[in-house]
Amino acid sequence: MATAAEKSTKERLVSALDDLEVLSRELIEMLALSRNQKLPQPGEDVKVLELLVQRDREFQDLMATAQSQGKVHDEMQQLEKEVEKRDSDIQQLQKQLKEAEHILATAVYQAKEKLKSIDKARKGSVSSEELIKYAHRISASNAVCAPLNWVPGDPRRPYPTDLEMRSGMLGLMANLPTNGVNGHLPGDALAAGRLPDVLTPHYPWQSSDVSVGMLPPHHGSDLGLEPPGHNKENEEDVENMSTDSSSSSSDSD
Amino acid sequence: MMATAAAPPVQEKEYEDWSFLPLVHDILKCMDKDSQDVHQELAKLKSKIQDAREQISNMPGIDCSPVEQQQQLCTLREQVRTKNQLLHKYKGLCMFDVPKAS
Repeated sequence: MATAAEKSTKERLVSALDDLEVLSRELIEMLALSRNQKLPQPGEDVKVLELLVQRDREFQDLMATAQSQGKVHDEMQQLEKEVEKRDSDIQQLQKQLKEAEHILATAVYQAKEKLKSIDKARKGSVSSEELIKYAHRISASNAVCAPLNWVPGDPRRPYPTDLEMRSGMLGLMANLPTNGVNGHLPGDALAAGRLPDVLTPHYPWQSSDVSVGMLPPHHGSDLGLEPPGHNKENEEDVENMSTDSSSSSSDSD
Repeated sequence: MMATAAAPPVQEKEYEDWSFLPLVHDILKCMDKDSQDVHQELAKLKSKIQDAREQISNMPGIDCSPVEQQQQLCTLREQVRTKNQLLHKYKGLCMFDVPKAS
């Protein structure tokens, strides 16, 4: 029984069919012989017939079993298709979960970096009053924004102009007689009105009646390198030069 | 006339179709009567045996015993049930529920 249970239905069917073929042939041959002569073993044909009937019944039972196994096989195929579909769904879900995990990991990392930046900013925080105070200092000299009443042509600039430099400490130092020759351009001393005649530079545009003593003091607002005879033109030139030199700031204004 | 695995006729009719005894009986009757139809009946029996062999080779699902097939069926059913449960669980699982402040 154990060996019969281990055999597949197909093997049992083939075995039963072979037995049926052999038994039916043997029965027919025995009956054919018995018509001409006596059987060597009387009653043997009955035994063969009984075996034939028994194997026939077994074969029919096996065929019925095979039919039911066929139906079960169809159900199993349906289940296998369902399993494949579920596997596909699970793989799709796994893929989506991995993508979500990646996105979340990136978001968490960026959030942590933001928190670090916030902590760092809090540690190095600056008082708003100090910031406003420095902003006022920077803005006081009109270096970041033109004055409200500034118009094109206004000589004021966000940096010290030539005239302002000359009227400052450096300009005063340059006007001293002992220091007027060494290290200073003749034009500077001439503009300051202190240069001796022998050192007076002779520019092509200077007139012959120019004298140093007649030059205005260096504190004048319209000072330039030219003698008084050309003051008006020089003022315009200086104006243009100043304008040109700071043309970028003018343009930016 | 022969029942196939795809077409399911009445089971009793299939049961009778696979019996070889009627053909053997016809052969023996012809032999008793010394009829010339003996050879024809013998040919029928051979043909039926051959058809049975072919059908057995084409029948699906008989490569294992009924017990083994039932075990495989149970395994498949269990697989489908488990995968359905898993999918139902993960699709119904919301990972973004904000926990209520205690």
